[in-house]
Amino acid sequence: MTAPTTTTAAPEALPATPATRGRVTTAYRWEAAKLVAQARTRVTLGICLIAPFVFVTLLDQQSQVPKDTLFGRWIHASGFATPLFILGFASQWVFPLLTSIVAGDIFSSEDQYGTWKTILTRSHSRAQVFWAKTLVAATFAVLVVIVLGLATLTAGLLLVGHQPLEGLSGTLLSPGRAASVVLAAWATTLPPLLGFTALAIMLSVLSRTSAVGIAGPLVIGLIMQVYTFLNGPDAVRHLLLVTPFDSWHGLARDHPYYGPLWQGSLVSLGYLVVCLAVAHLMLRRRDITGG
Amino acid sequence: MPSRPHLVLAALSSAAALAGLLAGCSSDVTTPRVERSLGPTFANLYVQQQTLLGHTGLTAATVAPRPTCSRTNPAAHNKGAGTDWICQVSWTGPDHKPLKGKFELTIHPNGCYEAGGPTKVIGPVTIRAADGKDVTNPVFEFDGCFDTT
Repeated sequence: MTAPTTTTAAPEALPATPATRGRVTTAYRWEAAKLVAQARTRVTLGICLIAPFVFVTLLDQQSQVPKDTLFGRWIHASGFATPLFILGFASQWVFPLLTSIVAGDIFSSEDQYGTWKTILTRSHSRAQVFWAKTLVAATFAVLVVIVLGLATLTAGLLLVGHQPLEGLSGTLLSPGRAASVVLAAWATTLPPLLGFTALAIMLSVLSRTSAVGIAGPLVIGLIMQVYTFLNGPDAVRHLLLVTPFDSWHGLARDHPYYGPLWQGSLVSLGYLVVCLAVAHLMLRRRDITGG
Repeated sequence: MPSRPHLVLAALSSAAALAGLLAGCSSDVTTPRVERSLGPTFANLYVQQQTLLGHTGLTAATVAPRPTCSRTNPAAHNKGAGTDWICQVSWTGPDHKPLKGKFELTIHPNGCYEAGGPTKVIGPVTIRAADGKDVTNPVFEFDGCFDTT
């Protein structure tokens, strides 16, 4: 890309970071290593890998079908219905949990262990540590969705089969088309998921407690779901961070529509920018002398 | 400087005004959107059902369903999510036979709905296909979604 222009634009300004300071990538590697060392991270990924197989096996033993969720009625008819059914059934409450497990703890754990001073005396600026932690939390969120999405698709294909899928416009989607719909639908959850990542980071920085960082996004997500359930004005519903989790519906059709997808991505981006800006500002302004 | 109760009151009343304004806004779920989605979705599924029953040669275009949808609750002004949507649909069956029936819809705020068809006309949940197998009747109950933007 382009060379950093800030150094030439304001040479007289106080040097925020000395030239000898480390890079974000180095801090990112450290943060990633810390995350991998945590049992919680590995257990979460393991559950995401195994749970879909258990779930589909249990569903297979039922003669009734869960008709009240989209694609639930086709759960025994096509393996491609499985990942879409799980997406519709679980995305709104499972995804906020999966990302905040890491994002809601990655800043506040330094408060908990009193280690802010230690990591900031290393050769990285506060901003670099902030971005490294944020990128690690985002990486984990994306990784979890990839693992869970592929596991549900594999579980469906292995345990049910690759029959054509009845779409949402009354036409059968060929196995190839159904597979691409499944992958695209799971990919559309990334914007709201990263929105929840940013929300968890903000709460983690503001509260300095992991309990708030992890449970906060869940509670906020739940309140948003209750609002949707109570059928409040649609203009407000469009601004909620759980609404974009439904934006994949238009893809599972003969003639797809993308309106909710663009709208949802824009809303998610708004949450992402605002939450990260607040978190960044608060961390930079914080007086870290104790600990 | 206004005192704290005044501020709270001002905030509450402006929130109420905003809510009222938003409530008056157009809903995402409207009669034309429901009708435009139910018609083609039903036509496609009906062609599938008739193919299963051995009546080939039908297409969505020859079925040509004409839905007229409304809500049972008059206070809802035929818009918005709800479980009380009713659609009267007339369409063309095999051998150009004119058919009609009542569909009951549960429509969610996100534009997805579950529709239940008239059993007398479209058959029960399981039907005997032309090859003798019992299969799920695709039009007995079905899901659909429409764009709400």
